[in-house]
Amino acid sequence: MKLEIKNITKNFGGMQALNNVELTIDKSEIIGLIGPNGAGKTTLTNVIDGVYKPSEGEVWLNDERIDHLPPYKIARRGLGRTFQVTRAFRRMTVMENMMVPAMAINPGAKRQNVINKAQGILEFLTFEHLANEYGRGLSGGQQKLLELARLLMLDPDFVILDEPFAGVHPTLQETIYGYIDKVRQEGKAIILISHDMDSIFTLSERLVVLDFGAIIADGNPQNVKQDPVVIKAYLGEDEEEDY
Amino acid sequence: MDYITGQFLVNLLMNGILIGLIYGLMALGLTLIFSVLGIVSFAHGEFYMIGGYVVYYLLQAFGNLEPMIAILIAGAVTFVIGVIFELLFLQPMGKGDIERPGEYAILLTFGLAFFLQHVMIGIVGPFPTKVDRFYDFAEIDWGWLRMKAATVWFFDMPISSSRLIATGVAVVLTALMIWFMSKTWTGRGLQAVSQDRQAASVVGINPSHMNTLAFGLGTMLAGMSGAALVTVFAWVPWVGMPASSKSFIIIVLGGMGSMPGALLGGLVLGIVESFGAGLYPDPSKALAYKDAFGLLVFALVLLVKPTGFFGRKL
Repeated sequence: MKLEIKNITKNFGGMQALNNVELTIDKSEIIGLIGPNGAGKTTLTNVIDGVYKPSEGEVWLNDERIDHLPPYKIARRGLGRTFQVTRAFRRMTVMENMMVPAMAINPGAKRQNVINKAQGILEFLTFEHLANEYGRGLSGGQQKLLELARLLMLDPDFVILDEPFAGVHPTLQETIYGYIDKVRQEGKAIILISHDMDSIFTLSERLVVLDFGAIIADGNPQNVKQDPVVIKAYLGEDEEEDY
Repeated sequence: MDYITGQFLVNLLMNGILIGLIYGLMALGLTLIFSVLGIVSFAHGEFYMIGGYVVYYLLQAFGNLEPMIAILIAGAVTFVIGVIFELLFLQPMGKGDIERPGEYAILLTFGLAFFLQHVMIGIVGPFPTKVDRFYDFAEIDWGWLRMKAATVWFFDMPISSSRLIATGVAVVLTALMIWFMSKTWTGRGLQAVSQDRQAASVVGINPSHMNTLAFGLGTMLAGMSGAALVTVFAWVPWVGMPASSKSFIIIVLGGMGSMPGALLGGLVLGIVESFGAGLYPDPSKALAYKDAFGLLVFALVLLVKPTGFFGRKL
């Protein structure tokens, strides 16, 4: 498994959202991706999964260039993601939300096998009692869980979780911790984007920091935490004088 | 006003329901296109017109052809035309190659509407054509139900056989469409794209294929509506224009993009038009005002509930 982001630049008109971003993930690990608001985290995610085409640079997945591919083809090649603002299919039940993508990718799959898989995932996420609820009837946290469940149905090698803890009740947060741990144990790589620093430092094995569209730090979370460049990015240039 | 009896009112209701179900079928195609592609097809009425002409020519060429087969062929023809048009002209919009897709779609479908109308004027000329009724009913007299050739009397209420057959076709097609959308994985994939295009895309659903399929199915439904109604009306190349405008009214009445809304909107429009025309004091002018009654209800619904019956809040 290998995801390579090579010199990615993304411009929106005159604004540069990503500047020469270079990142390689070649093993199963949890990578925390952090940065101040507007640093380019979600833009980078959108470039990786094909929602945006990069202005410059290339994205390679398992030795295949994917930056020209549409999102559905990238998803079928084993890269899944969730969204910062949940995007469950609101007028479908939880079970339909999970089965539709699985059947779209593999139309020849046996319906009962897909149902069994979905039920197993729902049980793991302690979510099975909501299988027949419509997406629109779920709380924000439950919709986050539904997105995670839907992602597991695709069995991706690389998982991008965009703010999975935002607005989530602490009980559900524990469930999401369990989810991330399970996905990690299955040998997948996880890119975790979050503003919840406790979760980031608890879960991440590697930390990447973006600021103004460029990577300013990449390495062991404890080392990155002490990096003066990172501290400056988060607290500002005049931090010592102000306090 | 002595003619306004209970039976007369029930007759108006029955006629309204019959035509409303056909309106609903037409609008179902338009709403499917809108919900998946996010565009309003101004050429919808022209596919309705083509469906009718396909049946007309098939029955002329093959006198013994079963009319229901002709309707199916009309559906296939309009599906293929719709798919080709979507692949050639609408795909660039879905891929993000068009800077202002909303305006592009309006101009393009308007252009297609005029093109198809004038091609048909070139082929068939401007004069109305009429297709004979598909079937003559056997003579039956069971008291509450009587049938003879072109008319059915249901509790002494006369119903034209052509209109009854067209409604039967509409009911079957609507039921099939509901089954397809709710029970098949392809139908659910269409629903997924209509609910959240980006989310559908990142879970592996190909939105471009869904666009093509939705446009083809939408034009097919319009074509089959026309094919079923060709025996009811005189057919001219611009016959689709009023049908198209009724479909627009229905999808706004029902709520943009809502399939149940399209069916309910069709029924409401059919019933309102039927009662409006039937109860207008001067019967000689009643038909001329028929469309105005539908538009009046349309305006009232927009005033009271701008999102329509089942529309989502914007």
